[in-house]
Amino acid sequence: MDSLLWILRATEQPVASLKRWVLVGLVGCVALALAYLPPRGATPNGGSVFVAQSRWGTPARQRAQALADEWRVADASLRLLRARRELQELLREAKAGTSLVVVSESADVATAAPPIADSAIHVAWRQLGLGETKVRVALIIQLAAASQVHDHPLPDEGRAAYLAPDSTDRTTCIAAVSTGTYWTRAFTGDLRGRVPFEALVQFLKAGLGPCAFYAAYGTPGKSVRGWLVSRGWDLALTFDAGGRGRQGNSPIGMAEARYYSYWEAIYSLPPTAVACIASRPEGCRAAVLAGASDDPAIPFPDIVRIETRWWRRIPRLVEGQRFLADVAHEVGRDRFLSFWTSALPVDTALAAALKRPVGEWTADWERGFVRPIRLGPTPPLGSAIIAVAFAVFAIVVVAGTASRRQIR
Amino acid sequence: MRIILVLLAVSGIPKVLIGQRWERQVQERVQRTIAAVGTSPGLPVVRRSGMLNTDEAASFQATLARHTPYAIIAVCDDDCSRLQLTLLTSSGSEIAKERNSESLPTLHFTAETTAVYGIRVVMEGCRWNPCWYGIAVVPLRKIPS
Repeated sequence: MDSLLWILRATEQPVASLKRWVLVGLVGCVALALAYLPPRGATPNGGSVFVAQSRWGTPARQRAQALADEWRVADASLRLLRARRELQELLREAKAGTSLVVVSESADVATAAPPIADSAIHVAWRQLGLGETKVRVALIIQLAAASQVHDHPLPDEGRAAYLAPDSTDRTTCIAAVSTGTYWTRAFTGDLRGRVPFEALVQFLKAGLGPCAFYAAYGTPGKSVRGWLVSRGWDLALTFDAGGRGRQGNSPIGMAEARYYSYWEAIYSLPPTAVACIASRPEGCRAAVLAGASDDPAIPFPDIVRIETRWWRRIPRLVEGQRFLADVAHEVGRDRFLSFWTSALPVDTALAAALKRPVGEWTADWERGFVRPIRLGPTPPLGSAIIAVAFAVFAIVVVAGTASRRQIR
Repeated sequence: MRIILVLLAVSGIPKVLIGQRWERQVQERVQRTIAAVGTSPGLPVVRRSGMLNTDEAASFQATLARHTPYAIIAVCDDDCSRLQLTLLTSSGSEIAKERNSESLPTLHFTAETTAVYGIRVVMEGCRWNPCWYGIAVVPLRKIPS
């Protein structure tokens, strides 16, 4: 039949070859796989398979960043341990009564601190009320190098590292603060006149971090120290927090509830921190006492690494970086020292110093920075009235209909 | 581990701590106490000093001569509230312990034989860590029999 009717068939149009397009598709798939599949050794980040590009970059980039971070951690630890040895000579030569020694470092070369930095840190020391202290502080100001070497990751500008006294000679706390390009220019005089001296003082004051607490109150007792170590000293980052108010250094402190950023910041917090903002004492207590244990483990060497850029931290407690400074200010030196060196569990020792339950005091303290929020469903009044009216209407209609259909 | 760290720290102290107010305070107290109890001429006074956090301990050894009365004294700085002093045999058995004198415990002991004895100090109370302490093993004048 086909051979008879072939004359009726329309002429076939030439069709482009599919082979080329299949090849192009395969090459595209390989390119995408190279770009997005994790390299060997990388673990998946748990992101959605429906999201093509994660906000943190490709897996290969994440892997590279993770390796760079590991390198930076190891490098910072090595620098601190090396400084521990090198600073001994400097500390021996320091005159009697000197509790603060400052050096600077750039591209692995130790130098004398720039005069303005030396002056600023000594002003900061006096402002903190620290004279001759049992635990001395050796501050290393790590200035950014003029030319970067590309055989290792760039130094992380927003981090500081601390070596606790028990990992040195028991009376010296070493702080290494990375200044980054901007502050390096400020300290070396390139920004003369454009950065107020007070800003330099505040920068270095913040850089003292846990070392300021060691200097002021000595080495904490085992329970307090274990508690702080387990949570990265996040409650004792700022020794002098200044006045209290609702303009803190946190997205929540600065934002307003009517903006989206405020709620985004709220929802990024741990549940206990959110409960504390809602003035729930049990939430505040849990947020403060997280990490406290009866048998704390303290590493040796005891190195604390801190992210100094507050916008990159997710706090366990909003404004928590000044929590212990405010406790000390509130209860006075004697009572704070009793807490600091206490052998009692942290919650008992802290409640004894505060003379109040920890949760209640913290809830009051938190209200000084953040307007309390309401947790749970909060429908608008108008919507609630309309919804209830609809419900009542529906019930009435159904009840009326049902009563008319009843068989008596 | 803690004891080892303490011993390591103690061994490095004399070089590092020159000039620390609290160290000087303790040295002066040791000196005054030795002068107060009086020493026997010809026999050396053994001294040790160091620093401890609350509840930490440090130990060292001293040779005590037979039939010589000794006063073993310990002092500490102003921030220390309680110091415990213990005399031990070389095998570690306790011979005497003083924990009632708060920041100035003293032990009196006369050895039957010349031997090495252990002395342990425990910082039981320190309100500003670390607290400095000083120990002196002072040979006293023999009482004529």
